Amino acid sequence: MKSVIRSFLRYIVRRRGLSALQLLGIAVGVTAAVGMMLASRSALKSIEGAVDFLRGGATHTLERPTGPLEEKVLAGLLTDPAVRTVAPVIDRQVRIEGGERIRLLGLDPFLDREIRSIADRIGESESGDVRRKIFTSFLFDPGAVLVDAGTAKRLGLSAGSIFKTSQGPLRVVYVFPNPTGEPLIVADIGHAQELFGMRGAIDRVDMVIIDDDPFRARWVRGFKIESNHQKAETLAALLGAFELNLQVLSLFALFVGVFLIYNTAMFAVVSRRRDAGILLAIGASRRQIAAAFLVEVLLLGAAGGALGGVLGFLLSGFLVKVVGNAISSLYFFLKPAALPWSFLNLAGGIFLGAAASLVGCLPSLLELGRVQPVRVLQGRTASRSAPTKTKNIALLGVLCLVVAGILFGLASRHVYVGFAGVFAFLIGASLFTGLAIVLSVPVLKPLFSVAMGLSGKIAVGNIRENLGRTSVAVAAFMIALSLSIGLGAMIDSFRQSVVWWMNSQLRGDLYISTKGDVNVPEDFYEELGAIQGIGGIDIFRNVPITFRGKPASITSIDASVLQRYDRFVWFEGGGENWEPVKRGSVIVSESFSRRFGVKKGDRISLEGADGPSDLAVTGVFYDYSTEHGVIMMDRSTYLKLFRDRTINSLGIFIDVTNPNRRQIIDEVKHRALVRGLPVATREEFHKRILDIFDGTFAVTRSMRVLAVIVAFFGIAGALMTLFVERRKEFGIYRALGFSTGDMVRMTIAESVAMGFISFATSTLVGTAFALILIKVINLQSFNWTVFYHFTPQPYLVTALTALAASLAAAAYPVWSVFRKYPAMQIREE
Amino acid sequence: MPRQWSFPRDHGSHPQYRTEWWYFTGNLQDGRRNKYGYQLTFFRYGLALQPRRPVNAWSIRDIYLAHFALTDGTRNAFHHAERVSRAGPDLAGAKEKGINVRVLGWSAAMEGKRIDLMASHREMALALRLTPAKPVVFHGERGLSKKGPGLGKASFYYSFTDLKTEGTIGVPGMTAPVAVSGTSWFDQEFGSNQMTQDQAGWDWFALHLSDGRDLMVYYLRKKDGAVEKESSGTLVERDGTSRHLRLSGIETTVLSRWKSGKSAGRYPAAWRIRIPGASIDVTVNPLVAGQELVTTAAMPITYWEGAVTGNGTSQGKEVAVEGYVELTGYAGTLGGIF
Repeated sequence: MKSVIRSFLRYIVRRRGLSALQLLGIAVGVTAAVGMMLASRSALKSIEGAVDFLRGGATHTLERPTGPLEEKVLAGLLTDPAVRTVAPVIDRQVRIEGGERIRLLGLDPFLDREIRSIADRIGESESGDVRRKIFTSFLFDPGAVLVDAGTAKRLGLSAGSIFKTSQGPLRVVYVFPNPTGEPLIVADIGHAQELFGMRGAIDRVDMVIIDDDPFRARWVRGFKIESNHQKAETLAALLGAFELNLQVLSLFALFVGVFLIYNTAMFAVVSRRRDAGILLAIGASRRQIAAAFLVEVLLLGAAGGALGGVLGFLLSGFLVKVVGNAISSLYFFLKPAALPWSFLNLAGGIFLGAAASLVGCLPSLLELGRVQPVRVLQGRTASRSAPTKTKNIALLGVLCLVVAGILFGLASRHVYVGFAGVFAFLIGASLFTGLAIVLSVPVLKPLFSVAMGLSGKIAVGNIRENLGRTSVAVAAFMIALSLSIGLGAMIDSFRQSVVWWMNSQLRGDLYISTKGDVNVPEDFYEELGAIQGIGGIDIFRNVPITFRGKPASITSIDASVLQRYDRFVWFEGGGENWEPVKRGSVIVSESFSRRFGVKKGDRISLEGADGPSDLAVTGVFYDYSTEHGVIMMDRSTYLKLFRDRTINSLGIFIDVTNPNRRQIIDEVKHRALVRGLPVATREEFHKRILDIFDGTFAVTRSMRVLAVIVAFFGIAGALMTLFVERRKEFGIYRALGFSTGDMVRMTIAESVAMGFISFATSTLVGTAFALILIKVINLQSFNWTVFYHFTPQPYLVTALTALAASLAAAAYPVWSVFRKYPAMQIREE
Repeated sequence: MPRQWSFPRDHGSHPQYRTEWWYFTGNLQDGRRNKYGYQLTFFRYGLALQPRRPVNAWSIRDIYLAHFALTDGTRNAFHHAERVSRAGPDLAGAKEKGINVRVLGWSAAMEGKRIDLMASHREMALALRLTPAKPVVFHGERGLSKKGPGLGKASFYYSFTDLKTEGTIGVPGMTAPVAVSGTSWFDQEFGSNQMTQDQAGWDWFALHLSDGRDLMVYYLRKKDGAVEKESSGTLVERDGTSRHLRLSGIETTVLSRWKSGKSAGRYPAAWRIRIPGASIDVTVNPLVAGQELVTTAAMPITYWEGAVTGNGTSQGKEVAVEGYVELTGYAGTLGGIF
């Protein structure tokens, strides 16, 4: 037994190049899976950590359904018997130089000490007089702030530094340790009020409450009270789609990774058929040989897995940053920290590598059980039953596709059902590769024959002859290319849909203060109103709310202005929808309509400042601003309901025919500048939205790159194995008079032809995959319609990738040809 | 300079002075003769002469602190809590007319002659109604109480030494608040710069003798262990008349000591107090040994303030004694962030 295993292991050493490639193949597969999973876990852990840290000991929060809360509410809360602690909070953002947004919390250090540890630690590291000075400065000096250690380090700030922000210069009085990755600036609540021009108001109250129900009964009217439990649910719902996206990408990574490992392991076994035959012939038992195979494959899998675990950990460090940017532009201003190294990564990698390798070598092991030593030693390995087998496998593929179809039909039950469908589809598609090869070889043969002569023709024939091997390699390559095409086409379609939406709904000439950190003073709106020649000013306010226990948002706009200047695209209804909106009805976004099952003609109930209000829904519009859904209403309706006069931003519309257009635009820009309000032209505004969009999909793009790398190793491994396996045939070719150049051409042709078949199949599979992502997954998790839009780019990029990978994969065999071919003889080793 | 007192105005806040406190302590008993002690004190510390932005409610002038403690003689337990706040939007404050001081829901408010106290924290609760049985008593020279040598080292200090007290308290471990009655003592003190650099703390006694006399004694201890010679006392007779007691007329002996497990402070824990000039000779002991407050808020102060009981003789007759003792400066120096 030992000697059999030893003979196998010697082989690994002897074929160093191939072994290294196989090892790398497994490592890359594991890297992709581990990296993506670690990154998504790190990101979610960071969010949880930040949320926990900021929540502190609070059990409930109280706020107005929209907009700020009057600070005088605090005194009332203090006398409520259910209230143990209250802490007022101003929770806003500032933009620092360079454009980064950072959360600024306004807290009362006296009240807050019962909730959070931040205030209690002001000046903690200092003693006596210095600490007193720091604390006094924090309380008394306008612009005095605490900055968390991570941010301070990143921005090069220390106690005494002054830094510029959108709200004016701030002075650091103390740098506090922040256990989470969320950049934080903390100011005294009074100063925060002054900074944000909200005297007399706060954003919310964090509380410790001992009696939930009676408390709610007393504060039911005009307030939004959320317990920690509800908050956690809201957060989960808020992050749901994002989390799902990461999960899917992790699963894709795992899928591609396992496929690659499977592929590699299978080749490892196949390339040993001959050796197995020899060993059988000299008297080794089948069990001994099977065990030796297992040992070899498991060793390879474990080693590759271990390497992949480490590389995956390194990759996660990069991916976490990419994910972090997406989080920051969507939900929190968070810098997620990568999880620290854990030996679990290694263990997980080894497990993944070994398990997938084991699965990968099983079919070959079974085949090995039936190996006839004599036949094997004769050389040719192609099986005569190949056509039937191909047909049967394709039938299995059809079955998988049927299952996928059924799962898509049921996708509305749960988004995981949709994912299961995606995997069934991918597996099904991969089972067609054998058939694809059989069908495309007759077409490719004349093509390659014309281009490369006899070598080309033989090369294509070889693919068909070695179907058992080539089909798996092509399948792995094809799946990777399909993922690349599918993800690319999905992103492009989505992007086009967003562009289409922006062009129809965001048609203002200028947008003032759309960055979310500076509100527009109401008198500025009035000031602009006095400028002659402005066609209309849309006054925009957006507030997150909780609707039927789920996050959503309310947007207030000027219906008359939008009716005149924007071209809303209606999912239900048309331009006539604006008239009732002016009179107090609301319109809702497609995602809102789908999430809550609210349709045109329905009524929804909103919790206003004076209690609940019933509103008629008169239309549904396309929207990609938030997947949580938007309720849009005229500002007059909004003010009546919520008495919140905050203005987030303004959209300025000037008639195209106005001869003074240029001057008016300049005048508005100038006035905004004087007020320190950021102004963007329509183009700039649109570009910013697209930048955010691109940031969000950066992770997906990274995934595409991974898919391509995986694809490369897939095809390279397959080619090398084929080459190694057929060394003896090379001797025959030499005897037949094939030159080194012929052999090089043949090798390259074989590789390119396989790449071509993979690519051709992947255009179909990839496009179908994109459609599934758009029509099933996206619709399910985001509730919005994305329109498939063909762009050549994903296909071209993938085609080039396929070509490059095929050529690169041929490099080693070609080099071998140069080195060894001239000396090759037809001889048994 | 002695002060022209005017009440109820002078019960109120004196913002022109930097520090001020309203101090309520009392010895209570429920229907089953279980003994309790309570302390509810409000402090005002001026941090600025004017708030920087008077239009902003959060702009700080004063910081208000409150300490609330309950002593449960039956369960041998002591509970305390603290609150700190700036005035803010109606969160804390002291009005200038009459006793009307609040800190985050705890309050003392005078209505006519009656003073209502309210405080609750978790299972601790207190709602008491206090009615003076004797007129205001001024300490020192017409209410100017010297705290050290030199000008300004003094505070304005007066008391209601005998307040009839009724109400309810809730103590952790009880199923419901109980009705209680007893006697309270109220001190109001304000000034700007009372303590001198070389002083370490003080021992303060406020005792009710069962013959109707009330006795206040305070010792200012210097860092070198000596007693400040300005230390003194006040004796209030049954009819409300009072007289100043000089240090030389008070003899106090510490009979035992108690070491805190929380702060490692070593406090005196039983005393014999003799006022030969008034024929008083009494011994007092803490109702519960551990009545130490360890506060952590913006002004971390650790001190012992507790209910005491005792007995002895007054004018030749046997008397029972109840009251409160305050011991500061035994566990680290006074003064925190401010």
